[in-house]
Amino acid sequence: MEKAVIDKGLKVFENGGDAKLITHLNSCVHCGLCAESCIYYKATGDDRFIPARKVEIVASVYRRYHTFAGRFLPALVKARELNEDTANEMVDLLFGACTMCGRCTMHCSIGVDIAYLVKTGRTMLSEMGMVPASLQSTVKAAVETGNNMGIPAAEFVDTLKWMEDELTDELNTKEAKIPIDVKGKKVLYTLNPREPKFFPLSISAMAKIFYAARESWTLSSRMYDITNYAYFSGNNDEARLIAKRMWDEMDQLECSTLVLAECGHGTRALRWESPNYLKKPFPFRVKTSVELIAEYIHDGKIRLDNEKFKEAVTLHDPCNLVRNGGVCMEQRYILQNFIGDFREMAPNGTDNYCCGGGGGQLAMSEYNERRMKTAGVKAEQIRRTGAKIVVSPCHNCVDQLTQINFAFKLNIQVKTMAELVADAIIL
Amino acid sequence: MATLEIEGKVFEVDGDGFLTKPEMWNEDVAALFARFDGIAEMNDKHWAVVKLIRRTWEEKAMAPMVRILCQETGLKLREIYELFPLGPARGACRVAGLPKPDGCV
Repeated sequence: MEKAVIDKGLKVFENGGDAKLITHLNSCVHCGLCAESCIYYKATGDDRFIPARKVEIVASVYRRYHTFAGRFLPALVKARELNEDTANEMVDLLFGACTMCGRCTMHCSIGVDIAYLVKTGRTMLSEMGMVPASLQSTVKAAVETGNNMGIPAAEFVDTLKWMEDELTDELNTKEAKIPIDVKGKKVLYTLNPREPKFFPLSISAMAKIFYAARESWTLSSRMYDITNYAYFSGNNDEARLIAKRMWDEMDQLECSTLVLAECGHGTRALRWESPNYLKKPFPFRVKTSVELIAEYIHDGKIRLDNEKFKEAVTLHDPCNLVRNGGVCMEQRYILQNFIGDFREMAPNGTDNYCCGGGGGQLAMSEYNERRMKTAGVKAEQIRRTGAKIVVSPCHNCVDQLTQINFAFKLNIQVKTMAELVADAIIL
Repeated sequence: MATLEIEGKVFEVDGDGFLTKPEMWNEDVAALFARFDGIAEMNDKHWAVVKLIRRTWEEKAMAPMVRILCQETGLKLREIYELFPLGPARGACRVAGLPKPDGCV
């Protein structure tokens, strides 16, 4: 491995790193409590996957270059040189065996932000050009085309028109619209590109909810993609570029509230990371669609038929929306409003297990086999609830859950929150 | 490089089971991949979807929007999801021999 490449990776620790990074890198006491919190360790029993080991590989490289003992007596303090072997092992552990779900961070006895350190390791690998090809190709599509599936704008608009026609037919009113690029509306709504490309029913579902609530809203044909896979690849420049486009579009369309579609990491990247990427506070309001739907119910703007769903429903909490995003009670408030037989998974909420598809795993074919092994943890959780419908406010989770359903023969239906709510709405 | 064996035939695939050499695809391959996904026999509707995906990909190097699939085959969205239990991407595109689409699929 060339020195220039290694130096690029080490730049992440430039000047010894910032206070937060140094504190977390130097604090792990190797108690091992994080082991059982991790779906990779839980599903495989392989102790390479214990979160502390993921911290250790990043910390050992840090020690090698930024501590006295590490520089002069590396073996004594288990400091590791950043070379091809170390980098390959980092790729395997930090990209291939972590969904950045942050459950280990919650369980850490001393509060080490393990997910943040994994992210830092990913940033090093990104600087070195070592992001797994399939993940990088998703980022590249977003950077080059404006959405992570490379959907041409004309085809996007045609799909929205089609969904609008279906919706006006279903509701028998021309008032139920899907507005595109309309300036000065209150809400700019966002989408995950997989909705227009393959699963547009969630678009018409949300449009139906907006119609029922008499919301002032629009979509943008230029920038609608809520995802930000650069957050997972660790490339902060690309993450900033993608986030900035959404800020600019809010400005262009003069909307006052950005409403985030059901997307865990997109919510994380836009709501919690983008002010840091852009180094300024939000000039507009940001809300998830889950919070907005809860508000509509609370304020009496929409009413739901509590006879609509008789079967048992359970909820999968997306890590980046719930544990890492603070939206926890709103989805329960919604479900308790109209689902008679709502069953919690165990554990749930901020302690919920990841579906196994987070952290870019769903995009990375390289680690498919491992991903479907970790999925067993979620499959078992779902099975125990006995629920027939699993709702999850995250398209990425929905896709992983759909695969889990197939692979583990659970015989369930998987739905987004908007789809479930739209089916029960009383007009 | 992973391999996938179906009924004695071995295919080079990516980690998600998509053909690594899409040009190796033919209708027999499609039928085998479909059986692997639990579709015992491809019917006319399956074929209409798969052939349209394949044709679009050969012309434009990308999978068609699901709108095109519905409008050109006359199938309803829900029918497409029922025909391919793993969905249009991991189900139909894989049977059509495409590389895995990018994104959350």
